[in-house]
Amino acid sequence: MLPDHAFRVLTLGGAGVYLLNLCVWRGHVVAFGGERCSVPSDVQLSNAVEAYLGASTSGNHREALKTLVAGIKETVAAGDFTNSAVALRRAIVPTLDYTSAQTLSRISKTIRPQVKSAHKTRLAILGSFTTSQLRDFIELALFASEIEPEIYEADFGVFRQEILDPGSGLYEFQPQLVFVATSWRDAAQLPQLTDDRDTVDAHVRAELESWQQLWRTAHEKLGCQIIQNNFECPPWRTFSNLEMRHPSGLGRQLAMMNQAFAEHAPPYVTIHDVDYLSAYAGRAAWGEERFFHHAKMPCAPEYLFDYAHSVASLVAAQLGLAKKCLVLDLDNTLWGGVIGDDGLGGIRLGQGEAEGEAFQSFQRYVKALRLRGVILAVCSKNEDANAREVFTKHTEMVLRLDDISCFVANWTDKAANLRTIAETLNIGLNSLVFVDDNPAERSIIRQLVPEVAVPELPTDAAGYIQAVERHRYFQAVSIGNEDLKRTEYYRGNALRQQAEESASSVDDFLKSLEMFGTIRPVDDGSLERTVQLINRSNQFNLRTKRYSSADVLAMLGNSDWITRTISLADRFGDNGLISVILAKMETDVLDIDTWLMSCRVLKRGVETLVLNDLCEIARKKGLRALRGEYIPTAKNGLVRDHYQNLGFVQIDHDSDGRTVWELPIAGWTPQKTFIQQRTTDE
Amino acid sequence: MNDPRPDLQEVFRDVFDDSELTITDATTAEDVPGWDSLTHINLIIAIERKFGIKFATAEISNLKADGQNIGSLVSLISKKAQGAR
Repeated sequence: MLPDHAFRVLTLGGAGVYLLNLCVWRGHVVAFGGERCSVPSDVQLSNAVEAYLGASTSGNHREALKTLVAGIKETVAAGDFTNSAVALRRAIVPTLDYTSAQTLSRISKTIRPQVKSAHKTRLAILGSFTTSQLRDFIELALFASEIEPEIYEADFGVFRQEILDPGSGLYEFQPQLVFVATSWRDAAQLPQLTDDRDTVDAHVRAELESWQQLWRTAHEKLGCQIIQNNFECPPWRTFSNLEMRHPSGLGRQLAMMNQAFAEHAPPYVTIHDVDYLSAYAGRAAWGEERFFHHAKMPCAPEYLFDYAHSVASLVAAQLGLAKKCLVLDLDNTLWGGVIGDDGLGGIRLGQGEAEGEAFQSFQRYVKALRLRGVILAVCSKNEDANAREVFTKHTEMVLRLDDISCFVANWTDKAANLRTIAETLNIGLNSLVFVDDNPAERSIIRQLVPEVAVPELPTDAAGYIQAVERHRYFQAVSIGNEDLKRTEYYRGNALRQQAEESASSVDDFLKSLEMFGTIRPVDDGSLERTVQLINRSNQFNLRTKRYSSADVLAMLGNSDWITRTISLADRFGDNGLISVILAKMETDVLDIDTWLMSCRVLKRGVETLVLNDLCEIARKKGLRALRGEYIPTAKNGLVRDHYQNLGFVQIDHDSDGRTVWELPIAGWTPQKTFIQQRTTDE
Repeated sequence: MNDPRPDLQEVFRDVFDDSELTITDATTAEDVPGWDSLTHINLIIAIERKFGIKFATAEISNLKADGQNIGSLVSLISKKAQGAR
């Protein structure tokens, strides 16, 4: 029998789970009994992960890792691969030291064959140095992103032969991605003391050409995306401070090479900035050569996992899996202090105060991210009006309301708020990164909403930028106009939503938008955005086939393929490129290989616009019908009836839920939409 | 200076992923299955981290040489860990 004002609390103690009876009595919280619950192993394991992530000193860290590793091994021994996989993934952070990464890598090899990863890819690693540890670490980092790679690792030092020999293992393997793992030692021509500027210029040109030839050879045969290391600078300068100015300075030539790579690498080559990795770690530390001399390792061992994490982040970005949205707490995250208690005059932000400047610096970093396409959201426990007032009235704020695409300040729990934010922005929870100064809040979110990435933060605001930066959440393989305007798109959307709510009917709303649609083949200008959409669309995506820019370029060059991009604008602004079609002409049918659309523009009539265009093409080419397929995934239930709704007839299906549909061209007439069309013919 | 043997044992058990592995001063590379050049590197790195020491390039090679055993490794670790104070 519980007295009034009593409540029961589930609490996690070191030895298990307890249900406590508590009440408030004369201003104190008093416990008056409780009971021990049976311990679900994944709760204990979850605690071990949290203890490890939160351990700040290196002493605590090793103990916490030992406990966690023991816990994961026990869970594996009990046959529970699902929970051990979840725990292991959360433990993989870019700051892992070499030995810890080796330990986790060994464990991951027992777990990976037993769990199904959401994403797969075929990756070839062609190294000029020992790649075995790097390969293991890349697999571990990819595992954390739920990517299971099939890997081909070439023998040591034969990367050129692998590419030049058409009968090599590389070509037999047919990779989608090729990582050319080279270093500054692979630069073909190092400068001689007697070289003048013209000679060095010629070296750089020749070097660039020889790499371009390698890339071209691999790409022509495989249609793959290539990840090519640039040249890191060794930690010595024979010319000392003159290294960058003297014509035969090695540092000078390597910098020129890197510039040449950056400017002239083709779209199917991603330049991996190893030079930055080495500078970030510190050239002397990174380039410490003992383990190069012994085992031809590319860098000092303590940086090898970060190296692998960097490569893995490029693979993930290539697959469209980079994070999209940064969700920010407010108090003690964007400013020092609590706005509800300290007021506008009391919070610490900006000039005249060191801590305030640290917060402002963090805001500047966040603002720069948003300007290049990262969506920002706010998730704060505050009165909405108090929270907004800082953005509108505080002179030292760098971030303004215009920068925030979804602003949630209330007293609801943050887990629920994060789900709301994901829903409002129409993106997956696994696209969110949540930054909060409160360790308890971080821990709760990691456990209740495990899809959201929650980096650990130091207590010092001056460390916030690195706390986010080192995870490479927002890795980019390309930035296009669509990225730069993303926040504006979300703002336009909010206005559209208001218009929809006040319209008297769906048709009236659509008419009021005054929409213009442009349909044209994929071209150089739209290639980046097209490939982005192909790799990131999960919901309105009929077959979820992923293609690299290399693949799409191949289709552009093939007259059997029809490629289409659809851009949509209305009176509230430009939606940008929002739909991609890839279709192949077969004997008597136009087979729709890819039909995807941004969920921002559902039910505006774009689907009909596309259908009209495809039918017109099929009619002109004398084809009998359009054919489309639906391949079900966890995320695309939205389009299960897409072809049915457009009047297609189902001609095949299987037990997995796959369906095939056809629409005969004979007797078809164009359907009405509220979108005024602009078409550019091929 | 504490006896490095218990910590060293732990390092071996982690690197070789064998919780039952027992090493003695007489143990050599031939006695431990899986002790190849790659695991040797992992071992060196793990030992350096555990004891906060650094092996010289020549010392890393010597540890693999004929006639070397855990006993010589223990001496080397003790000497270096003392020097680090």
